[in-house]
Amino acid sequence: MTEQKPRSHTIDMSSILGEQRQSQTPNETCIKVENLNLFYGKKQALHGVNMEMYRKKVTAYIGPSGCGKSTLLRCINRMNDLVDHVTIEGQILLDNENIYDKSVKVAELRRRVGMVFQKPNPFPKTIFENVTYGLRIQGINDKRLLEETVEKSLRGAALWDEVKDRLQDNALGLSGGQQQRLVIARAIAIEPEVLLLDEPASALDPISTLKIEELINELKEKYTIVIVTHNMQQAARVSDYTAFMYMGELIEIGTTSELFTNPTKKQTEDYITGRYG
Amino acid sequence: MSEINPLNKLPSVMEKSTNNYYQRWRSFKDSLARYGVIAGGLSVIVALVLIFFYLLYVVIPLFKPASAEAVNHYALPESALGKTVLLDVEEQNEVAVRFTNSGQAIFFEVATGKLILNEAIKIPAGASIVSFAQSSPISEGAVIYGLSNGQAVVVKHQYKITYSDNKRLITPSLKYSLGEAAIVVDNQGAALENIAVKVGDKSTTIIAKTTDKVHLLHIEKQQNLLTDEVTLERSETVLNIPLATITDIRIDKEERNLYLFSDDGHLSFFDISDKTAPVLRQNINVVTAGAKATVTTFLNGDSSLLIGDSTGLVSQWSMVRDELKRPAMQKIRSFKVSEKAIAAINPEPRRKGFAAIDVDGMMGVYHTTSEREVLREQVTNTLPVAAALSPRSNTLLVETSDKNIYFWMLDNKHPEVSVKSLWQEVWYEGYPKPDYIWQSSASNSDFEPKYSLTPLVFGTLKAAFYAMLIAVPLSLMGAIYSAYFMTPLMRQYVKPTVELMGALPTVILGFLAGLWLAPTLEENLSGFFLLFTFLPIGVLGFAFVWHNLPKSVLEKVPEGWEAAILIPVILLIGWFAFAISVPLETMLFHGTLRDWFKNEWGIGYDQRNALVVGMAMGFAVIPTIFSIAEDAIFSVPKHLTVGSLALGATTWQTMTRVVLLTASPGIFSAVMIGLGRAVGETMIVLMATGNTPVMDMSVFQGLRTLAANIAVEMPESQVDSTHYRVLFLAALVLFLFTFVFNTLAEIIRQRLREKYSSL
Repeated sequence: MTEQKPRSHTIDMSSILGEQRQSQTPNETCIKVENLNLFYGKKQALHGVNMEMYRKKVTAYIGPSGCGKSTLLRCINRMNDLVDHVTIEGQILLDNENIYDKSVKVAELRRRVGMVFQKPNPFPKTIFENVTYGLRIQGINDKRLLEETVEKSLRGAALWDEVKDRLQDNALGLSGGQQQRLVIARAIAIEPEVLLLDEPASALDPISTLKIEELINELKEKYTIVIVTHNMQQAARVSDYTAFMYMGELIEIGTTSELFTNPTKKQTEDYITGRYG
Repeated sequence: MSEINPLNKLPSVMEKSTNNYYQRWRSFKDSLARYGVIAGGLSVIVALVLIFFYLLYVVIPLFKPASAEAVNHYALPESALGKTVLLDVEEQNEVAVRFTNSGQAIFFEVATGKLILNEAIKIPAGASIVSFAQSSPISEGAVIYGLSNGQAVVVKHQYKITYSDNKRLITPSLKYSLGEAAIVVDNQGAALENIAVKVGDKSTTIIAKTTDKVHLLHIEKQQNLLTDEVTLERSETVLNIPLATITDIRIDKEERNLYLFSDDGHLSFFDISDKTAPVLRQNINVVTAGAKATVTTFLNGDSSLLIGDSTGLVSQWSMVRDELKRPAMQKIRSFKVSEKAIAAINPEPRRKGFAAIDVDGMMGVYHTTSEREVLREQVTNTLPVAAALSPRSNTLLVETSDKNIYFWMLDNKHPEVSVKSLWQEVWYEGYPKPDYIWQSSASNSDFEPKYSLTPLVFGTLKAAFYAMLIAVPLSLMGAIYSAYFMTPLMRQYVKPTVELMGALPTVILGFLAGLWLAPTLEENLSGFFLLFTFLPIGVLGFAFVWHNLPKSVLEKVPEGWEAAILIPVILLIGWFAFAISVPLETMLFHGTLRDWFKNEWGIGYDQRNALVVGMAMGFAVIPTIFSIAEDAIFSVPKHLTVGSLALGATTWQTMTRVVLLTASPGIFSAVMIGLGRAVGETMIVLMATGNTPVMDMSVFQGLRTLAANIAVEMPESQVDSTHYRVLFLAALVLFLFTFVFNTLAEIIRQRLREKYSSL
């Protein structure tokens, strides 16, 4: 990971992107969004989105508030189903299967596509119970297996050393950054294929943010990651691919270095140079 | 701040808002609101504390010990006129009387001993007095003198109150209610060595012992309806009993039981209901070996005997029916006055208490049922000869062997209440065993009020238990459905509707429960049981069928209104349950379910029972629990449910594992507030329970709660009486009950909240 830059209103992309690693593995499509339209009642929130996300890569969605990036993210694990009066057209293929197909069981889909929210949302239970929650609802109650998973997941979320002596404490006693990593540990405990991160660091302080970003870098060894962020530096630091959305439309998608250094659309350029957003 | 405040560009606006007057007005409003809130809060607390202390203020005298005050002592009036055989005081504590062994009735002022009247009893010439006895009850004032010629004289001391110049004047007199002529008891003219009498309005019974016989003489008054002429009808019997040992005779006021004592403590108990054929019921020793019975008397009501012995012990003997329902005297309890022989026992004329004085002048005042020694006082230092307790039990006169009378005032208002009599099993007179009984008033004054709060507390908890049994599952499940599964539109209608149920006056609920539900339930008991069984099964069954219906049918129902379709289903199930109940009942139980319970299981059925009150009060409590629990569940943060769903949990799993857990403090307080309401509820239990203070957990039996008891009895209790104060005690118990309940609930809720509160 690159060194942490002080935040400022103007972005010096070259210093970040200069070290941007290009992945060595060939790109394999994991999620494919085809012609996706989404309506909240009569109001259309997504307009014909087409894109691909690659396996074990980090894809970042950027764009101004209300541009539909979170809505698009929530389509991938069908969290939008929970909102009343939502209609969705088009399809999203996960491993070449349409997740909006009638035969798909939503709960099973969500097990495969984990999600972390903007605000840390640990359950009011112990740390141990939080991490094992996903397993328990699958009916796994073997104590040894649960303990192993807790350690593995907490290590995976870089939280183990901080909490290993107080696994039976209430998770709400953790700090915000710790809570967010706990939530990530909870998500990876059930070994999803895809991890959706909806502005995972926006509620955290810079040090916690750094930790989360480091964590994302480690996690992509195992998981396909999609992250929504309105912090362009963060997108530049953590992602391999970046998609720019505006007014419910996907304006441009490309490798992060390309999009930030050489955007093809004027709207993208205006946004990343800070002219609006 | 280094940045420039944009508002600085608008000086005119800022000037206005920093206006001095406005600032002062603003801070005035602020402090007004603050102190207003503080004053309001404090006055609520003060009001509660005041209520608490007022209750306490009324209750505390119940537990105050009695006190005695020596007012005066004076020389025995007319001491030359013989020894006292009876000392007595009239109602107003102004005039006392002493009957002497020489046949004089000497009336004197209680306060000073000043002689008022000295009257000789009319005794036939040539006869002398050999025995004396007092008729029961004491308050009627009848006494009998047994004479040496086999005759007896019955006389009453009575007091006429007149007012002249607004001053009360009490004039004592003697009255010969059976005529002035002496009554012949022994035709042979043998001396009546020992005698007992009961002088009643219609009849009089005299028991007298001569050297060789025990006579039973029964005189019935016959009044000619036309001429008002009174004729006396005599019947005489001789009791067959060994005679030498008899030292004391007692006959109860019903003229039914006769007790003969010997001085070694032997008691022979006769049933003399049939005056011509007395039956010996029992021969028993009433004192321990070596001791002697020194004083015997009846406790007020004449169903218990008090026997004082030479070891300073006073024991209470009462009639208890044995397994074969035969009456037998049995020792109920005893009181240790001192180590010295008992010299006098004076039962309280209107209560089940007595004062006992030993030969050293140590007095103990006791109450039998509460088993309480309410007072212990050295009333004199010389040997007491006679003692009198006034009808109101507040004046005591003690005559001593050195011919003095000691005048004491007693303050003993509530001897019948003790922690034991309120909370533990008490062996009341006439009961086969100790029991918890609430019976505050009775048909006559001989019965003592029974103030056990235990059945009331039991009834309160029982009613609350059955109400909660019905209300908690229904309201919590309703709350879960409405908060978590129902569409917002439907919830918008359902929630206020359920909450509106709470606005129904409970008096209407109680009225409906008592006058409609109770008889309906009695008629259709099996129908209700079938309904309780069919309803959950039917609803689940319908849900299953519905779930499997083709989509085209499902889509005809607007989304979220599926629950509304249940209404006809529930009505149908209800109709079906009642329709088949009667044939089913006949088939299975050969009659009604009620009779079957009674005959097969011995379970009695009260029309107004815990099931009725459980349903009615459950109905009253449901809106409270529903509303609070629904709010608690609804306010579980969305990010928690979403987080759970995002982990692949189903809606049900999310509900049971995250939502209910997080809402648990709120759900808990909902239940506790509902319980608090059920405990304190008055009108429903008053009208639907039958108010029978029984201790029976059966769902078919009635009950009486603390609150209903207060409502029923407070209007008829005399201010400052024991009954009144005990009702206040019941109120205090209820107050503490809810206080402890709510405090406990709050502590538990706080702990739950600490554990499960979310961000």
